[in-house]
Amino acid sequence: MHEFSLAVEVISLAQREAERNGAGTIREISIEVGDLSGVEADAFESALELLVKESILENSVIAIVRIPGRGFCSGCNLEFEMKFRMAACPVCKCFPSKISGGEEFRVVSLEVD
Amino acid sequence: MCETCGCGDNSELTIHDRKQTHSHDHDHLHGLDHEHSHTHSHGPESILFAHSHNHEHSPGKVISLNLDILSDNNRLAGINRRSFEERKILCLNLVSSPGSGKTSILEKTIKALIPTNKIYVIEGDQQTLLDADRIEKSGAPAIQINTGSGCHLDARMVDSAFKKLDVENNSILFIENVGNLVCPAMFDLGEFKRVVVISVTEGEDKPLKYPYMFQSSDLCIINKSDLLPYVDFSTEKAMEYARSLNPELEFILMSARTGEGMDDWYAWLKNQSGTGVE
Repeated sequence: MHEFSLAVEVISLAQREAERNGAGTIREISIEVGDLSGVEADAFESALELLVKESILENSVIAIVRIPGRGFCSGCNLEFEMKFRMAACPVCKCFPSKISGGEEFRVVSLEVD
Repeated sequence: MCETCGCGDNSELTIHDRKQTHSHDHDHLHGLDHEHSHTHSHGPESILFAHSHNHEHSPGKVISLNLDILSDNNRLAGINRRSFEERKILCLNLVSSPGSGKTSILEKTIKALIPTNKIYVIEGDQQTLLDADRIEKSGAPAIQINTGSGCHLDARMVDSAFKKLDVENNSILFIENVGNLVCPAMFDLGEFKRVVVISVTEGEDKPLKYPYMFQSSDLCIINKSDLLPYVDFSTEKAMEYARSLNPELEFILMSARTGEGMDDWYAWLKNQSGTGVE
């Protein structure tokens, strides 16, 4: 459910940054959503799709880049793909491992005119 | 249309699933009355987030932001936190699933501590003033935030409720968040500590099912301990699961109904540094 609030945040952030840079239109917005960020990427995308109408992002390409989760096992000195937060190290099977990637939730860039 | 990632159709939405390994060329129509093609490839190295588009039309100006989408909330939460600290207000954010007993714990706490402490409560619920009414009957000023369809409180709501409450310095401010173990985990309100409440009727696997909440909390209250003889709930297992996510997490086994563990809770409150809990 919080994906709707987050989509609202994205639209106001895009509006603010476009104004700050004197841009009239946003051609493309690039957003990173990490698989371990706590944001359900599909729900977020649907929310954004609904909410962009009559906003500065109405005609923009919305590029959502999903970032796979990455874990680091200090015992094995190994980085591995982490599909969920409690995923064990694939070698020694211990957990929890330190999350080293996939918690991103950010607007990377805007392409504007 | 690319079958792997769904990009390349004429919709305005392009999804790049970075977990797939594929490469292709495609054309798509942007909603700005122009067409262009771009080339990109995704490989195992895309885990490093490399991503390039070779646009054949004159590119627009690219503004690089790298802005955390929660940055506005985090900034406001920081302002709240500084304000609470300067005024020696112990602010605690109570989170849980609905029905774990947060309001009952607060009612008991207020009755016990109000003779020697100034206590205020911000109540978050989707609808009704029921909880704020209960709290006020216990003797503490309360303000209710109704989030409507919203599933959590955010730092802006807390700032505005805080101003309306007219909180005195050297006091305790409890924020009872919307009953939900998912969304409130993501929203810093500016609290000094976060307290997650679970009850023995919920099942010992709650921490594993809702890891974000347990990872972001400082204290876990396990409530309704008086019901332990009647349910299959292993306190040890629940604590072990929660600790596996957050080794620093503290625990208090409590029954707001019988009073078991309430003294441990009051002692924990008194131990919070820089605050004047009596």
